[in-house]
Amino acid sequence: MRLQMSDEDAAFQQRMRDFFTTEIPAELRERWAAGGELEPDDMRAAQRLLNAAGLAVPHWPVEWGGQDWTQLQRHLYLQEIQAASVPPPLAFNANMVGPVIATFGSQEQKERFLPATANLDIWWCQGFSEPNAGSDLASLRTSAVLDGDEWVVNGQKTWTTLGQHADWIFALVRTEPDAPKKQMGISFLVFDVKSPGVSVRPIQLIDGGHEVNEVFFDNVRVPADQLIGERGKGWTIAKFLLGNERVGVAPVASIKRALATAKEHASATRSGAGTLLDEPLIAARFVELETQLSALELTVLRVAANSHGDKPEPASSILKLRGSQLQQDVLEFTADIAGPASLQWSQPDDTDLEAWTALATPTYLNFRKASIYGGSNEVQRSIIASGILGLKG
Amino acid sequence: MDFTFDDEQKALQDAVRELASRHAPAEAHGDVPVGPAQHDPKAWSAIAEMGLLALPFGEDVGGADASTVEVAIAATELGKARVVTAYADALTAAGLIAFGGSDEQRAKLLPDLLDGSSLIVPAFAEPGRAWSLDAYDVTASAADGDVTLTGTKEPVPFADVADKLVVTARVGERTGLFLVEGATVSGMRVRFDDTPAVALGSIDDAARAIQAGVNLGILAVAAEALGAMDAALPMTVEYLKTRKQFGVPLAAFQTLTQRAADMYVSLELARSTVLHAGMALAADPYDATVASRAKVVVGQSGRHVGQEAIQLHGGIGMTAEYAVGHFTARITAIEHTFGDTRWHLAALARDVAGHPQVDVLA
Ligand SMILES: Cc1cc2nc3c(=O)[nH]c(=O)nc-3n(C[C@H](O)[C@H](O)[C@H](O)COP(=O)(O)OP(=O)(O)OC[C@H]3O[C@@H](n4cnc5c(N)ncnc54)[C@H](O)[C@@H]3O)c2cc1C
Repeated sequence: MRLQMSDEDAAFQQRMRDFFTTEIPAELRERWAAGGELEPDDMRAAQRLLNAAGLAVPHWPVEWGGQDWTQLQRHLYLQEIQAASVPPPLAFNANMVGPVIATFGSQEQKERFLPATANLDIWWCQGFSEPNAGSDLASLRTSAVLDGDEWVVNGQKTWTTLGQHADWIFALVRTEPDAPKKQMGISFLVFDVKSPGVSVRPIQLIDGGHEVNEVFFDNVRVPADQLIGERGKGWTIAKFLLGNERVGVAPVASIKRALATAKEHASATRSGAGTLLDEPLIAARFVELETQLSALELTVLRVAANSHGDKPEPASSILKLRGSQLQQDVLEFTADIAGPASLQWSQPDDTDLEAWTALATPTYLNFRKASIYGGSNEVQRSIIASGILGLKG
Repeated sequence: MDFTFDDEQKALQDAVRELASRHAPAEAHGDVPVGPAQHDPKAWSAIAEMGLLALPFGEDVGGADASTVEVAIAATELGKARVVTAYADALTAAGLIAFGGSDEQRAKLLPDLLDGSSLIVPAFAEPGRAWSLDAYDVTASAADGDVTLTGTKEPVPFADVADKLVVTARVGERTGLFLVEGATVSGMRVRFDDTPAVALGSIDDAARAIQAGVNLGILAVAAEALGAMDAALPMTVEYLKTRKQFGVPLAAFQTLTQRAADMYVSLELARSTVLHAGMALAADPYDATVASRAKVVVGQSGRHVGQEAIQLHGGIGMTAEYAVGHFTARITAIEHTFGDTRWHLAALARDVAGHPQVDVLA
């Protein structure tokens, strides 16, 4: 046990901070921090700047752009990138399909996809969920049948985040319909979403936005060499990917920044003769959330230090569970601080309300998703119960 | 205490339910409006024609001589069907006029307001300021008679369709109520720039009138939120019964059914508190404690039920095509209307030493 960071780690942290705050345009970071939507080109620009400096995919194998950092360094990197409000590398690329191809792909597939994935030359989307396969992902029905040297894909995916911007999709498909267990017979297939037979329909969410889509496949022909890993072993890959996804979704530093921003807003919102921050219940809620967040951050540090290699720990479920809850709590509190101003969702030119107040309620509602996707919080509790506590449900 | 509805109240409930079903948002495929409701003239005139605005007021001013209990019944049904209108706003304005206006102002303004021929809404919120019953940045040139107002109110829901506003404004160290017709309105922003206004009654009565008017608004929105919860829970229960994962309905997972049971507990606590507030405000329209307790219970229940309704639905609960998220959005807006849970807790806390215990039958 040691309380302080080593000088080396402190220097590393400073190096990260300097890079993110000087090399990534402030204008981009400010827009990201304000919660405004970024255009795909902005996302590409940010990821390419990171990639050029070797900071887009540091957790990948070194030969494909990784950095061979310690877990603490990885944590410090995440902390600083979030604290500086740098638009993060696209999760579908950096945290999902990249590590999958690096781990399960052939040499040829690695060469074909990894550099383009790290540089966001390919924008990937995740085709896992289906209307009837959500938490029960293994019951998925989208089928792929081999016809010569092509797979013919039919079926439907849903909730496909940012599918409207995507170039390629990585999809779980059923290639062995007669396998004895539903987890068997699933394969991991990647293909161009501009292929004939693919159609994308946007889904409107409760905040009015369109970040998710339904994606339909009608006799989509996919070259056989675009199956990643072993045929029929897609479930193993899916579990690997979902475990990685979970590690990425405890954005402690982003939550800290959101809470700090909320505090600035509270101290700028007048209440009686003082500000909202002078109100005892508001102040108490701030320190309560700060204390809860520090407990989570300490746990992230403790778990990160104990995990070895690429294998996600069941303890990562703690991070997903508590991380999403605290993220939601902070956004709920931000809407409370906006108060009456939160009733207005749009920002007409002639308003005296602060821009952030218009986003407070839609953002709060939008982030109810955080406890649903990436393995819902109920699923995380089941993983903790069975994987850690030995309580098979 | 008796919580049962009499025949007339049941008839009112049925009538409003029927009205609400006719004006509920249509089932839609593709994009639907989100965020604050736009004024719906058809729904509004139906509400006015049924006399729902008149319910808690005396016949002398065009009221129906019913009570705040009937307001709670009506607003609950509107909330259940997602008929979001200026109902609470107009009732609040009517309350401010009824409790604060001179006899002449009451006689002149209330009949038209209560029968829907004129829409008056209150303007409390000031940009950059937390919720308050007091005005700070909108000031009046004098306390009485013909005055002018200066400053900005925002957001003022339905300001763009209102014929008149009842505005809180500062006079020295005090807050008064003023009637305004000629403000510069754009969207929800209302600007006053030496704008002519008329004092509503005497400033000596304003604080009490504001309390009574806002109490009425609180009751209406709390009941509306109750209705929203009352609709979101059965939708969730139904979904747990029909949605299958892992080869079984979600209802086979006890962790989910137990949470539905907790939602039911929250809903019923809100129902008792809203109905009690309806009765208590009929007896004493100035009772701030009753109104604050109702806002707190509904705030906490609403947050619980709204969030869990989405969570237990999974992804589908996040979509605009599906009603459950809209109920949660409306419950959230109501939380931020007329003071949120923390604001009312702080108000109640100011008197914590003044009573040894809570006694609802006292
Ligand atoms: C905004 C958003 C973005 C998304 N992006 C993507 C994406 O890019 N790609 C992709 O493939 N998917 C994506 N998803 C899908 C997401 O992974 C699923 O929503 C999630 O797996 C839950 O599935 P479901 O929505 O079908 O809910 P269901 O599985 O039907 O669950 C409904 C409720 O029941 C609970 N539940 C289910 N089974 C159990 C059980 N055994 N025990 C206890 N509780 C249970 C759930 O936790 C939930 O509360 C996204 C979802 C959202 C909302």
